[in-house]
Amino acid sequence: MKNHLKSRRDFIINMGVSSAAANFAFALPSLSWAEDTGQKKTSRKQRVVFVFTPNGVVPNHFWPDHAGAFGTGKASTKFKRILEPLEPYKDQLLTLRGIDNKIKGDGDGHMRGIGCLLTGVELFPGDLQGGSDTPAGWSMGISIDQHLKNRLQSDASTQTRFGSLEFGVLVPQRADTWTRWSYAGPNKPVTPISDPYQMFEKLYGQSQNRAMLASVLDDLTDDFRKLHAMASAEDRRMLDQHLDMVRSVEKELKNDLQHAKTKSDLGHAVPDLPPNVTEENDNMPRISRMQTELLVNSLASDFTRVATVQVSNSVGNPRMRWLGINEGHHSISHEPDNNEKAYEELIRINHWYAQQVAYLARRLRDTPEPDGDGNLLDHTTIVWTNELGKGNSHTRNDIPFVMVGGGLGFKMGRAMQFDHQPHNRLLLSVTEAMGYPETSFGNADYCGDGALTGLV
Amino acid sequence: MFSLVVQCCQLIAVSAPPIQQDISDLSDETVRGLGAKIFDRKCSVCHGDHGEGNEDVYPDPLTGDATVSQLAALISETMPEEDPDACVGDDAEAVAKYIHHKFYSEAAQVRRRPPRIALARLTANQLRQSLADLYTHFGNDPWTQDERGLSVQYFDHKHWKKEKLKIERVDPLIDFDFAANGPGEGIDAKEFYINWTGSLLAMETGRYEIVVHSSCAFTLDFGTNQRRLINNAIQSAGKDEFREVIQLTGGRCYPIKLQLYQRKRKTEQPDAKISLQWVPPGGVQEIIPTAHLMRHEFPATFALQSKLPPDDRSYGYKRGTAIDRSWDQSTTDAALEFAAIAVSELYPNYLQQKESDEGKDRGHLRSFLVRLVSTAFRRPLDTGMQKYFVDRHIQSNQNDGDAIKLVVLTTIKSPRFLYPLLDQDRSKSWRHANRLALTLYDSLPSDSWFIKAAKQNQISESDQVTNAAWRMVGDYRCRAKTRELIYHWLDLDQVNEITKDQSLYPGFDAALVADLRKSLDAFIDDVIYSEASDFRQLLQADWMFTTPRIESFYGDAWRRVDQEDGSLQRSVSDSVNHVGLLSHPILMSKLSYHRTSSPIHRGVFLTRHVLGRVLRPPNAAFSPLNPDLHPGLTTRQRVHLQTDERSCQVCHSKINPLGFALEQFDAVGRFRLKEKGQVVDASGSYVTRDDQAISFDGVRELGDYLAGSQDCHQAFVEAAFEHFVKQPIAAYGSNVSSELTKRFVSSGFSIRQLIVWIAEIASNPMPNRNEQVQ
Repeated sequence: MKNHLKSRRDFIINMGVSSAAANFAFALPSLSWAEDTGQKKTSRKQRVVFVFTPNGVVPNHFWPDHAGAFGTGKASTKFKRILEPLEPYKDQLLTLRGIDNKIKGDGDGHMRGIGCLLTGVELFPGDLQGGSDTPAGWSMGISIDQHLKNRLQSDASTQTRFGSLEFGVLVPQRADTWTRWSYAGPNKPVTPISDPYQMFEKLYGQSQNRAMLASVLDDLTDDFRKLHAMASAEDRRMLDQHLDMVRSVEKELKNDLQHAKTKSDLGHAVPDLPPNVTEENDNMPRISRMQTELLVNSLASDFTRVATVQVSNSVGNPRMRWLGINEGHHSISHEPDNNEKAYEELIRINHWYAQQVAYLARRLRDTPEPDGDGNLLDHTTIVWTNELGKGNSHTRNDIPFVMVGGGLGFKMGRAMQFDHQPHNRLLLSVTEAMGYPETSFGNADYCGDGALTGLV
Repeated sequence: MFSLVVQCCQLIAVSAPPIQQDISDLSDETVRGLGAKIFDRKCSVCHGDHGEGNEDVYPDPLTGDATVSQLAALISETMPEEDPDACVGDDAEAVAKYIHHKFYSEAAQVRRRPPRIALARLTANQLRQSLADLYTHFGNDPWTQDERGLSVQYFDHKHWKKEKLKIERVDPLIDFDFAANGPGEGIDAKEFYINWTGSLLAMETGRYEIVVHSSCAFTLDFGTNQRRLINNAIQSAGKDEFREVIQLTGGRCYPIKLQLYQRKRKTEQPDAKISLQWVPPGGVQEIIPTAHLMRHEFPATFALQSKLPPDDRSYGYKRGTAIDRSWDQSTTDAALEFAAIAVSELYPNYLQQKESDEGKDRGHLRSFLVRLVSTAFRRPLDTGMQKYFVDRHIQSNQNDGDAIKLVVLTTIKSPRFLYPLLDQDRSKSWRHANRLALTLYDSLPSDSWFIKAAKQNQISESDQVTNAAWRMVGDYRCRAKTRELIYHWLDLDQVNEITKDQSLYPGFDAALVADLRKSLDAFIDDVIYSEASDFRQLLQADWMFTTPRIESFYGDAWRRVDQEDGSLQRSVSDSVNHVGLLSHPILMSKLSYHRTSSPIHRGVFLTRHVLGRVLRPPNAAFSPLNPDLHPGLTTRQRVHLQTDERSCQVCHSKINPLGFALEQFDAVGRFRLKEKGQVVDASGSYVTRDDQAISFDGVRELGDYLAGSQDCHQAFVEAAFEHFVKQPIAAYGSNVSSELTKRFVSSGFSIRQLIVWIAEIASNPMPNRNEQVQ
């Protein structure tokens, strides 16, 4: 309830009413939408993971033919080739077709495709020139993941260690509009972490360091003893004092470690990453797995409830040699539909992306919810999306939106069809489902009709 | 026997009746005085003048831990042995109080102990400097150079293209608005690329904010080309200010590379502008001055970012004596930070330099780590140490990064690294090298010439030590430490902000204070690194460094010699307005109140810092008389009025006459001849240690006197010694202070020569007396 009041006040303030007057205006019945739109905020843990893959899909082999429930058993709708890896999660899956990224302004289609996807707002003018359209800079607004992070972190009951985590899989080492989709605010792109070891360090570095320190301190006792002989009687007092302190720190660390070990034996062990996996094209499948393990573990440990996984970048050009495809994804995506080889390869490439999403769904489903209520997938929604609807046309209509899991509380197991609704409305639905309804997100011109209806 | 009896008394409950309290009205000091007389008369025959004992009668020294009343009871009943009734009651208590205070108690023993070279751990700055040098050790040696500004290439192209290079020059500052014309002839204003390279010289350790204003895409690498401090690879409207806070270690040059890209585009293109600014510690935001830009790229440099707790300064210089958890945690943080940089930069770079495959696999890792540990420990590793600190970690860790991390952690946390004075186990040459680096750089030996000399036993003889010290004294690391000394001597090292009443002193603002600091720094450097390096110039010079801002505030005496040049430069000579540092506005305004000058602060400063005399603290905390309540009185008259009492005059008769000599400088350090319509009386006086009465009128006469004053010379020599060595000078011999002062005078007051002598003494100390080194 508290959050409803807040957003309602925000709305009034945005309308130009002073904040003092906002308290007063609250009594007016004409402004009381809060009661009928908002979800009751419950203590149920809700998580959302946004997954990006590039260059559009092959619509005919992606979208289910008809809207409506998939059904169950043998009679159920069979998924098309690209979504086929997600068959096992059909009852927890929702496709949303007819959602368009309508954001105009500066930047080429790819730049707006990625830069406006989670922000719902235009790009600033800038000097980054794409293959067409005008040049642009960074996004003019915050992205939905960072918005949710701010909301969750401002409340002690939903606060987590990180608030959000930004994963990358082979995102190139350059910062431009094509390589960023998460924004902490206008002109504030968030850099994803593509190196699993770097992410590991971020997540577990501290405890690893403590373990290392404990072993080092053990050795120091010896070292002190050897040096003792070099010091005068008076100076030894200082060394003794130092050594006593080292011993007490060591003792505390060992207690801590023992405690942490007992805890982790019951819960979630730190993921064991394979060594020396470098960030290069051919390691993409391994890196994808490693990042997934780190993500699932972070969610299970409640390090965060919001995450983004950016697989390559807009105009991303991974060469999927492990599928026998030597040309880069972006290059292939420009081929016309009648190029059969390219068409087939694009289906297989997107099928591979779907496999990654399915693997994430599987790992979430296989991991029990820490409080004992079902599994992680029951409390997490994966929102898999894309910069474009279709690669060769560069359209940002029918942006692929596929949701898996119960985090947002939507009614799953079905395909939904919309009539070219701006994707800002979907962003509104997501924040509302997380318990933070807003009147607008991104460009308010596309938010007039509020959150999408019929999702719950 | 006496001490035996005392011990017995401690075992048996003391049941002696309380002594009559007739002496209780007297101060402790007076009672001890009485006690001293009795002791000299009746006790010292057997116990010695200072309770040290008498071989023939009673050989044991009078020391122990009985309380005063226990001692008094014992004396009353038993002493003197031949006539125990001769010293009882008040007399016995007086004797007890005297001996307890003078030599009996443990506290008295500590007070009586001769100054000694005490073990110390690394201070915060020594830890920073040592880690910085442990890093630079793997690159080329740093150097010093006079050329300032940044090297730059301007290209008529979107990126580096040799044929399109149009301008190559040195830019003294980065502050450009290229407007519609572009950066120069032959360069299309719509599309160009600029590449500035060089280094940033930071002389002070502290928090810096690096600020870039740019309407273009740009990148800024800092510390090494591998570290991107600011990445604005694309330009985006509304984002033209970029700020990064970074902790820098003083006395070091940080390589920088600033690349600007103006890109052609279909849409409206903002004019290309860029400026490189900073907010130095305690300073204001400004374009980075030319004096801090070096035109060459120095070797990669590392500055520790971890927070370190401040050091003990209770002895007047920083000492690494506190052993506590916050310090322990800070060394762990520092070790982890260094480990990370060793993994991400040092080792990969080390591998790159190894062209041959020989030693591939883990041989390179071993040689890298051995080098790292031996540099950190300031000595070559023997086989045992190599096994203990390196080999076993390599064996037990498959992952190179983990092995490096463990070795770094073990090394930095080791007492071998943290206590540089524990160096008796190595060759003379290594020990000298260790002490020289510690004294002159607050660091460890790291430069390749120095390590090589240490290894080859070429720093064992005294002339070799001298040569090395001379080579080091001009290094930026030593320059930074030397500048700190002058700040410390001037008592300016803890000053961050100076503000004054804006209605009385409009224009005295943060920007002016920042300019004044630059003036002070430039003057200090100019004096010390001139040929003569003459200390007396600090007290006598009739000129100062100035800027247009200083000139317009302080007037004619601060005129620039070259009016065409707007940067920091020498002022005209004026022997009345300029008397070295003594008349510098930073010092004068710091030693003033918000609205008025403070002869007392100035007098205390001169007494303690410049003349090295001891003053006891005031009897109570006094606030100065309010000038508004005494509108007719000058500052001098007001100070007279307030400190006229006899009890005040004990000290103020020394303080005030020194401070009054500076009265011709007001609260912002502006020269004045009149105050409140009356002619300023700047006459003053001083009584020297050997009881000579000196008088002077005004700061010029004061400065000229101080430049020839032995008290002043000795105070500076002691301050310098203790600042560099961080040990009491008397610990190196009771006559070191006076001998060194004599040499200082005979050298023509050369500051650099003094520092070299200090380094020589510190690198070859006499072992502590009473110390048994096993």
